[in-house]
Amino acid sequence: MRAWTLCKKDLRIYSRDRVGLLLGLGLPLVLAFVFGGAMGAMGGGGDGMIRAKLYVEDRDQTDASRELVEALQAQDGLRIVLIPLDDPETARVRVADGNGPAGLVIDPGYGEAPGFGGESKLRLVRDPGKTIEQQVIAGNLLPALFQSTQAEIGRSAMTRALDLIDFPGIGRERAEEILQASWDRMDELVAELETDGSFDADDDEATDDEAGGFDFASAITNVLGLEVEDVVGGGDAAEDQKSASQSHAVSGIAVMMLLFGLIACGGTLLEEEAEGTLDRLRLSPGRVSDILVGKFLFTWIVGIVQLVLLFLVTSMMFTIPIFRSPVALFVLCASVAAAATCFGIFFAVSCRTRKQLEGLSTIVVLTMSAFGGSWWPLEITPEWYQTLGHFTLNAWAMDGYQGLFWYGKDLVGILPEIGVLLAIAAVLATAAVLQWKRRFRIA
Amino acid sequence: MAGSEAKRAAGFLHRLFATNSARGFACRGHEGKAGGRRPTPPQAIPPQLNAPPSPDEVVLRTRGLVRRFDDQVAVDGLDLEVRKGECLGLLGPNGAGKSTTVRILSTLLAPSAGEAEVLGLDVVKDGARVRERIGVVPQELAVYEHLTARENLAFFGDLYALDRVTLAAAVERGLAVAGLADRADEPVRNFSGGMKRRLNVAVALLHDPELVFLDEPTVGIDPQSRNRIFEMVEGLRARGTTLIYTSHQLGEVERLCDRIAILDRGRLVAKGTLAELQGHPDVRRGASANLHFDALGDAQRAAELLASNGITCTLDEERPDLEEVFLDLTGHALRDGVPS
Repeated sequence: MRAWTLCKKDLRIYSRDRVGLLLGLGLPLVLAFVFGGAMGAMGGGGDGMIRAKLYVEDRDQTDASRELVEALQAQDGLRIVLIPLDDPETARVRVADGNGPAGLVIDPGYGEAPGFGGESKLRLVRDPGKTIEQQVIAGNLLPALFQSTQAEIGRSAMTRALDLIDFPGIGRERAEEILQASWDRMDELVAELETDGSFDADDDEATDDEAGGFDFASAITNVLGLEVEDVVGGGDAAEDQKSASQSHAVSGIAVMMLLFGLIACGGTLLEEEAEGTLDRLRLSPGRVSDILVGKFLFTWIVGIVQLVLLFLVTSMMFTIPIFRSPVALFVLCASVAAAATCFGIFFAVSCRTRKQLEGLSTIVVLTMSAFGGSWWPLEITPEWYQTLGHFTLNAWAMDGYQGLFWYGKDLVGILPEIGVLLAIAAVLATAAVLQWKRRFRIA
Repeated sequence: MAGSEAKRAAGFLHRLFATNSARGFACRGHEGKAGGRRPTPPQAIPPQLNAPPSPDEVVLRTRGLVRRFDDQVAVDGLDLEVRKGECLGLLGPNGAGKSTTVRILSTLLAPSAGEAEVLGLDVVKDGARVRERIGVVPQELAVYEHLTARENLAFFGDLYALDRVTLAAAVERGLAVAGLADRADEPVRNFSGGMKRRLNVAVALLHDPELVFLDEPTVGIDPQSRNRIFEMVEGLRARGTTLIYTSHQLGEVERLCDRIAILDRGRLVAKGTLAELQGHPDVRRGASANLHFDALGDAQRAAELLASNGITCTLDEERPDLEEVFLDLTGHALRDGVPS
C-alpha cells in the first residue's frame, strides 16, 4: 500500500508537469510522425513514397523517345521534370547547381536504335553526392526502359553484360546460347510481372545491396549501357559520396546544436528574470529594448564562434572544403547564427520559465531539424515533406552549406539562402521585440 | 493606576535605591486601556523616530494608486507623500502590497489606475528619467555570481554612463562602504549571504541616487552584516537621501525610519511617526516606569513597597536578548570568512 501511495503521488505530480508530459508523451508522437513522413511510411504509397527528381531532356523527339519519357513518368519512384529544348538551364546545369540528383538526356538518334545496339544515345548526368536518390533513379530506370523498348532493350543489355563479363570459362559462343535461352524465359517473366503490377524497383533491396558493397546505381546504368557523367565532385565517385555525406552530417549537426545552444543563451534572459538581475537592468537608464539588443549581440557572437569552431575542427577530421570560399562561409555562418539567435530570443521572451523554455525548445528544435534536413537529405523525402521543411531555418541553412561545400558555390551563389535566413531573422526579431514590449510594457 | 501615581512611585523608589546601578532587574508599573495590560517593547526609541517629517519639498506622491493582477487587487487606492530627506518605513504583512508599490514607484510595473510621481516626474510617462535618479535595493540578490564584486559594481556603474574616473571612484567607495574592499576581486559565488546582501545594497548606491527604495534589504543575514547595512542606510540619511524602506523587521523600521506607513490588503491603514502611530485611537496604549536593580532582592523589596502603596507592579528578571548574547560573544566586527 505504501508503494502504491508513493506511486500515486508521483503520477499526480507527473500529470501536473506540463513540460514533462509534453516531453514524455508529446515528443515521441511528433518524432514518430516526422520519421514516418520522412521515410514514406505514411499512407503506404502515392505521395508518401520517396520520389527522386529526374530531369529529362528529350533531344530526339521521336516516338521511341516520347515512349521512354512516358514510361519514366509512369514510375512511382520518379518525379520527372521535362526540360524544353530551348531552355539554357539544361539538365546538366541544374544538377550541377544542386537542384536535383540526376538528369537523363535522350540524344538525337535514340529512336533509330532504342535497344542500345550501337553507340549510347542516353546520357545520365548525376550528382554522386545524392547516393540514395541515385539508387531510386537507377531502380526506376530499369523498368521504364524495359517497358518502353520491350525486348529490345533487354537483349541489348544482355549483350552489353556479355561484353563486360566475357565469360572466359565457357567461351563467348556458349555464353550467348545460355543467355538467349535465359532471355526467352525472361520475356515470360516480364510479362508476368507487368500483369501483377510488381515491376517497380525495390528501394529497400537497392539500399541493402549498397550496404553489401555492391553499387546498384552504377551496376544498373552499366548494364543498361547509359553513358554516365558525374557533374559534381572531383570525379572519384566513392570519395565524392563520402565528402557529400560528411558535409551534410556536419552541417546538419552544426545547425541543430546551434539552435539548442542559442536557445540556451536566450534562456539567460529568463534566468536573469528569476534572479532579479533583469529588474536591475531594467532599472538602469536608457531604453528597455537595449537589454534585448545586448542579448541578441551576445547570442549571435556565441553562435558564430560555435559554427566557425565546429567547421574548423571537423574540416581537419573529414573532407569538408571550408577554405574553398572562406568569406562566403563566414557570411553564411553569420546569417545562420543570426536566424538561430532570433529564434532563441523569441522563444526565451515567449516562455515564462527556464523549464518551460527547455521543454518546448527540445520539441521544436528536434522537429525542425528533422523537417529541415539536419538528420537526412531532404531530397529523399516526399514533396510535401520538402515543402514543409523549407519553412524551417534548418533547410535554408543546409542548402547554403551544401551549396558551399558540395556544389562549390561562391557568395553570390548562396545569396538566396542568405537572404531567406536574414528574412527569417528579421521576422523573428520583430516578433521577439513585440513580445518583449508586451511583457515589459512600461516605459 | 493613574500616570501621576506611577511617576510618584518611581521617584520614591529611585530615592530609596539611589545607590543601585540601573541594570539587572526591573520593576515596572503599567497604565493601560481598560481590558488589559500590555508591556511595551524593550527597545529604546531612537530620538529621530519622534522627529517631525521634513517640511521640505515632496519627492514622492501617489494619488489613488491601484494595481490589479487579474481579479486580485494588490494596491488599492494608495495615497502617499514622502518629503525630501525623509526615511519612510513601509510596513505590512505578506501580500499587503509593499513590493508592488515599490515596483510601481521604481517604474518596473505600470499602475492600473491612479497617479504616481517620483522626484516630480510621472513614473509612467517619464520612467527613463525617474530611473536615472533613483536607486533600488531589491529583495533578491540581484548580482552576478560569476563576476567579482568589483566587476559587478563596475558593470552596473557603466550602465549609468559614469565617466571612467567617476566610475572608478564609485566602485572603490561602494566596496569600502559594503566592507568588501579586501574581497573585491573574488567571484560573488564565493561570498556569504551577508556579503552578497551588502553588495546588493552597494550596487544600488553607485550613481548617488536622490531617492532609494530598499525592499527588505536585510533578509536572512547575520547581525554583523545587518548592522553594516544599517550603517549604510544611516550614512544615506545623513547625506539627505530620501529613503523608502520596507521590512518585516519592525525593530529595523523603528531604528531607521522617520515615518511609517502601514499597508494591509493593498490599503494604507495608517501613517505617521512612531509617536503618532502609538497615539492612534485603534492602538492600545500603556505607560510604564522602569526601575532597574542589580540585585533581585532589591527589586522584590521595591515591589512589596509599591504594593503596600496600592501600586500594581510586575517583577521581571532582565535577561539580555539573543542578539545581545550573540554580539557580546562574537563581537561586532564583520565576519566574511570563505563559505564552505
